[in-house]
Amino acid sequence: MERIRLKVQLIAVVLFNIGILNLHFICFPVLNCHSCPISVFSCPIGIIGQFAGVGLIPLSVIGVVGLVGLVAGRFLCGWACPFGFLQELLYKVPYVKFNLPSWTRFVKYGVFLGLVVAVPIFFTTASPLYFCRLCPVGTIESAIPWAIIKGSTDILSLSVRLFILFALIISVMGHRRFFCKVICPLGACLSLFNRFAVVFPERSTDCVDCGTCNKVCTMETTQGSQKFGVYDGRAEECISCLECRKKCPTEAIRIWG
Amino acid sequence: MFRKTFLGILMLLSIAFILYGGFFRKFLVYDNLEKFDKLKSVGITIKIPGYEEQKDDFQVQSQSFTEPELVNAMTFDGVGKYRDGRLISNYPDLRMLKGRMPCPT
Repeated sequence: MERIRLKVQLIAVVLFNIGILNLHFICFPVLNCHSCPISVFSCPIGIIGQFAGVGLIPLSVIGVVGLVGLVAGRFLCGWACPFGFLQELLYKVPYVKFNLPSWTRFVKYGVFLGLVVAVPIFFTTASPLYFCRLCPVGTIESAIPWAIIKGSTDILSLSVRLFILFALIISVMGHRRFFCKVICPLGACLSLFNRFAVVFPERSTDCVDCGTCNKVCTMETTQGSQKFGVYDGRAEECISCLECRKKCPTEAIRIWG
Repeated sequence: MFRKTFLGILMLLSIAFILYGGFFRKFLVYDNLEKFDKLKSVGITIKIPGYEEQKDDFQVQSQSFTEPELVNAMTFDGVGKYRDGRLISNYPDLRMLKGRMPCPT
């Protein structure tokens, strides 16, 4: 299953950034910056922010995020998000590993409401606090490539972005999927649907309560906290990576809820 | 049972949002002639048919955008809000917003 997921993630990285197609009128619910010169789809977070800036609600985008969330919860975070894939690669780098307090998972809801929705409404999308102006995905996929292509850029803004990106890379090397757990506003939106999703890993009656799923869970903030993965039933943070299914001694984890 | 009912309601709502937003919702976006004048005053000429003529010939026009068209325009920061609240193109010509990445010079 791990190999299949790796292949799917690689295909997704290419598919979302293939460059020959420009389907920016379609929002695909993964964090992939539409300002990237070779991006194919538009980013739902960028669109929600831009619409908020002119006082509108993008109904079709909310509908797509809602529908995907209701069908598969945060499945796309675990299987298709290019930045999630990059984080998993970065975590493999040998570095000091650390745990996080469980309350940190609430930060991403604040990021969504504050930096994605409130800042464009009360200031503008040109505000330096607007999420897209700080987004590390935007830095990698848009700010750096455009600075190279155009040859000139706002040095101060780029420096701030690079500093945030650097801090994030350090954090991701120390804590698995740090961005997904603590910061990602799209993850915050999709996590709201996890408790209702159709496709979702759950423990069946074959479970012997050994806690192995909990120990290997990608989304646990503290090892063995039993709060965020499949051990807690339909936990908000589960990204359906199926690491737990692979390690389960009794094969007690089913995918269809 | 509660979960499935709630799931069904939310799913219907999401599909309704997609259908209404994707196919029926329209927005009126206005030309931004202020931007055109500003560019002209600093010596940038807009090479678009219709704009080579005299300034007196211009009139503020509006075009109806579907939500996907507006989403596309938003990806390059193409639409803003005017003082009176109406949507206005951030580029001199509305035609720059539809379907392609604009290049104003």
